[in-house]
Amino acid sequence: MLQGALAGLAAGGLYAVLGVCLTLMSRLVRVVNFAQAATGMFGTYVAVWLVSDAGLPIWPAVAVGVVIGGSISALIGIIIGTWLPEADTGSRSAVTVAVLLFLISLSFILFGNRPQPFRPVLSGPAFQVSGVVISQVAIFTVVVAVLVALSAHVVLTKTSVGIRLRALSERPTTAELVGIPARTLSVAVWATTGAVGTLVVAIVAPTQSNDATALSMLVVPAAAAALLGGFRRLDLAVVGGLVLGVLQGAAAQLSQLSVARHFLPFLFIVGLLVWSQRKEVWDAAR
Amino acid sequence: MNGAVNTLELTGVTVARGAGPVIRDVSLTVPAGTVTALVGPNGAGKTSLLEALSGVIPVTSGSVTVGGTPITKLSRVARARLGLVHIEQGRAIFPGLTVVENLRLTAREPADIEGALEMFPELDKRRDSPAELLSGGEQQMVVLARAFVSRPAFLLIDEMSLGLAPVVFMRLLPMVRRFAEQGVGILLVEQFTHLALGLAREALVVSSGRVTYQGQAKELLNAPELLHAAYLGGADAPRQ
Amino acid sequence: MRLVDRPWTAHQVRLTRLARPFMVAAVAIAAGLGLSAALPGYYVYLAISVIVAAVALLGLGIVSGSAGMIALCQLTFAAVGAWVVTGLNVAGAPGGFVLWLAAGGLVAGVVGLLVGLPALRLRGVNLAVVTLGLAAAVDVALVQVQFPGTTEGRFVDRPGPFGDDRSYFILCVLVLAACCLAVHFVQQGRWGSGWKSVAFSERGTAAAGGSVSSSKLTAFATSATLGGISGGLVVGQVGLALPASFTPIQSLALYVLAIMAGAYLIDMAIFGAVLWVAVPELLKRWGVPQDWGFVVFGVLGVQALTSGTNLGMIIRTALWRRSASKPVAPTVSDAAPSVSDAAPSVSDAAPTSDPAPHPSPAPARGSMVLEVDDLSMSFGHVQALRGVQLAVPEGAVVGLIGPNGAGKSTLVDVISGFLPRATGTVRLDGVSMAGRSPTRRARLGLRRTFQQDRVPPGLTVGAYVRYVARRRLAAEDIAEVLDFFGCPPERTRLADVDAGRRRLVEVAGHVLAQPRILLLDEPAAGLSHDEHLALAQRLRQAPARFGLSMLLIEHDLDLVRSVCDTITVLDFGEVLASGPQADVLADPAVLKAYMGETEML
Repeated sequence: MLQGALAGLAAGGLYAVLGVCLTLMSRLVRVVNFAQAATGMFGTYVAVWLVSDAGLPIWPAVAVGVVIGGSISALIGIIIGTWLPEADTGSRSAVTVAVLLFLISLSFILFGNRPQPFRPVLSGPAFQVSGVVISQVAIFTVVVAVLVALSAHVVLTKTSVGIRLRALSERPTTAELVGIPARTLSVAVWATTGAVGTLVVAIVAPTQSNDATALSMLVVPAAAAALLGGFRRLDLAVVGGLVLGVLQGAAAQLSQLSVARHFLPFLFIVGLLVWSQRKEVWDAAR
Repeated sequence: MNGAVNTLELTGVTVARGAGPVIRDVSLTVPAGTVTALVGPNGAGKTSLLEALSGVIPVTSGSVTVGGTPITKLSRVARARLGLVHIEQGRAIFPGLTVVENLRLTAREPADIEGALEMFPELDKRRDSPAELLSGGEQQMVVLARAFVSRPAFLLIDEMSLGLAPVVFMRLLPMVRRFAEQGVGILLVEQFTHLALGLAREALVVSSGRVTYQGQAKELLNAPELLHAAYLGGADAPRQ
Repeated sequence: MRLVDRPWTAHQVRLTRLARPFMVAAVAIAAGLGLSAALPGYYVYLAISVIVAAVALLGLGIVSGSAGMIALCQLTFAAVGAWVVTGLNVAGAPGGFVLWLAAGGLVAGVVGLLVGLPALRLRGVNLAVVTLGLAAAVDVALVQVQFPGTTEGRFVDRPGPFGDDRSYFILCVLVLAACCLAVHFVQQGRWGSGWKSVAFSERGTAAAGGSVSSSKLTAFATSATLGGISGGLVVGQVGLALPASFTPIQSLALYVLAIMAGAYLIDMAIFGAVLWVAVPELLKRWGVPQDWGFVVFGVLGVQALTSGTNLGMIIRTALWRRSASKPVAPTVSDAAPSVSDAAPSVSDAAPTSDPAPHPSPAPARGSMVLEVDDLSMSFGHVQALRGVQLAVPEGAVVGLIGPNGAGKSTLVDVISGFLPRATGTVRLDGVSMAGRSPTRRARLGLRRTFQQDRVPPGLTVGAYVRYVARRRLAAEDIAEVLDFFGCPPERTRLADVDAGRRRLVEVAGHVLAQPRILLLDEPAAGLSHDEHLALAQRLRQAPARFGLSMLLIEHDLDLVRSVCDTITVLDFGEVLASGPQADVLADPAVLKAYMGETEML
């Protein structure tokens, strides 16, 4: 059971990073990006193809994949920023649903709909404590999750770009009126989250189920993680992702929970939403 | 600064919103260093006009130039960079940013921030607290200070008095005069008509989307019946 | 002459309104019979697939189109329907396929309720997260568990007379026709108005006495029911239920298709279903991988979502333009003469030349309808209201004035229940409103209008006022009140009405509700000067004519002066003065605060 829980850490770290990306996007560009994991999946598949068919070494291939993931994300950002600059979060997010559909289908066409033959970038145990193995991937993702959240926090509070981003997220129209280049900054946020998401998916995916749909649906546990922080707090998003991963890992060990564990993220989401919406809230301030 | 060249000029500006035009055919010149007052009953289209000038909504027809540069096709950011600064209705602070962070957004020189904080000692005391925790008057000071450090050429001010106690508002009003003295051209929308007219050189009254008076502010101030007629939007309202 | 005609035409309109959908359905069924005989066998099979998709899209149209929510698990509900049908088949339950189909729909509806229940107050994005989570979980679980009877190969038999594909197609046509009729009538009724209202504004819905959560819940459950029926039909078509028919990616594609086609329109749901089947089929013929179909849907979906339009809307607008360009005058310009008609008749009753117009004598005014006591409200550090006291007697129009930002709209929000954190008491006919939601208050007869546009453009004037009035109304009564307030006629689409007049429709709807008190928040904003005057005269007559009391919030002193006998002045959240009009307006303190006179310096 403990071994299972620790095995879930790698997945949990992945949820955490994607959850942090979702939180950043929700805060800074007012979108719940349903295509977040799909973007990572697509970039990763490109990297895998480069290794298996074009014979590129693994790291350059991953680098190309990350660039592609970032570019796809930036492109979505440009589309939404151009046509729905002042729409509400719901309408903006709905666009990413269509993009999610697009990316999954396109990956079926380009790469086939069988799971991809991944060669893990990181593999093997990192160390062993009293019989319990902790894998390199688990260490890597947890560290990356914490690092991403920390650096995002530092950028947002300490740098002038960060202050501009926060201003933009609080009052987009006013921000533009005081001369903050909203489009450029938003696209930069999209590109960055796309690239970070791709990097983590590329490294962790081989240890997870790796068909296109399953990878794209990682957005669900990521959203659960982000919800713990109310789509605002980065630290809680990290905690949420790790907790969810560990719980799923532990549940996988119990055969009587084998079906129920698939519903864990869903129940997590419903529970958090019911809690966070317990007070009456209206759709408009006035 | 050269007043003739450095002006904000509107020629036949019409602004539509949703179903139809909310304000039509406004022509006016705001020279540098003067205050022009724009007054009139609620719903007359004053806010829409300011929003069209700064680019929040598009100008439907007519032209607007800042120092000779046509701006109606420019983005909001580009207009802001030309020195056209819009102070929106209702204390447009960035609530989660501290006072200093609010000012850092627009400051041309870091030294300007200190200068602005000296003008408002209240703000200096609370420089590191989030703007949302400030009182209404202090928040409006943040907005004014933020405009000040951006070294604007023209200011569009929309209902600065909204929801402020008169004492507080009185404290802020001299700032507008000070901006003008430093050469900034100001278009002032204000519900407290007499205060606005007291500051202004030229004045426009708009009612139901039309300019019903345009001329010397002093004249309007001394002739309440003129003001009343213009407010009601009568067809024979004077127009200079 | 119009008056004599009216009962007849109204009756006829009602009849055609009821009969036409049935006629359309009959024609559709006849066409289905023809198709089942004429089409080659393979096409019949495809046609069944079209119907299956059409039922699912019909449901999605309700959630995503009418009620404006993002639901990404329509095929999960279909899987529930399929599960019920296969389960009942394996268990050898009585009743046969048609009954199982209905049971499948019902169970899916209940599951929809259960999923929707925690999502009651959820906005679009949250519901999207929940539904995608459910779709993903069920997908993985289904592969692991499998449907009842699938692994043993226990096929579901089609009902007796519908054994082969051709006759099963006829059964499907009948089911689809029934679903379409049901959806049509529900859309026309209170539920449908509620969905469209909630999609546009939750606050507007609550202020009309509608329940936001039950509107969302009924939309979600209805949609799930249709999803369940569609899943049951698949089982009848294939004989088995396979997890591959219900994947999340197909749910996503269906959602995107519903948005693209505008599936809240019934014909567009069917058209969307044709696309759903035809696009992959054509691609297959041309030797193109079928996944391109979803790629195309994805691209077109992005286009539809970013532009905010859909095929149905484009087609409808084009058709409407064509019919409008014919000699028959469009409905909107019909409205204009009736407005100017109404104005003179009103001014006959109370000539405008009257220098000091006084409100028409109201009925006996003993008791207070609305009493507000010691009301306070603060937002963070800003005190918006402080110890406000106010009373509106039976049959009176009380004016509430004050400079911008004085707290007038906040006060209306507090009285109507939108700011439950406020302290103090609000009493309607002596009964405390504490702890009652805006919806409850509206139903008890405490109604309000909004300064902002809260009138859903998706409805007609008639459907909207019926929804707001919440009671049975004769067409003549509606026409009379609409005419009185200078609104366009019943059949006009609200989308074609300008913002100022839309708010008059809002007022008319609330007056038709026969409230005890109506709070009007700047009803004249957006109207021209002449319309201002006309509205003032109508408001003055309203209490006597409709038996209600009013609190009129206005910035325009002239309007208040001509309508209200008593006035309360609010300044910085406090009552500055209150009493008879003449006294209050002569009060120097009021002048100073309200006019912003130079004395302040």
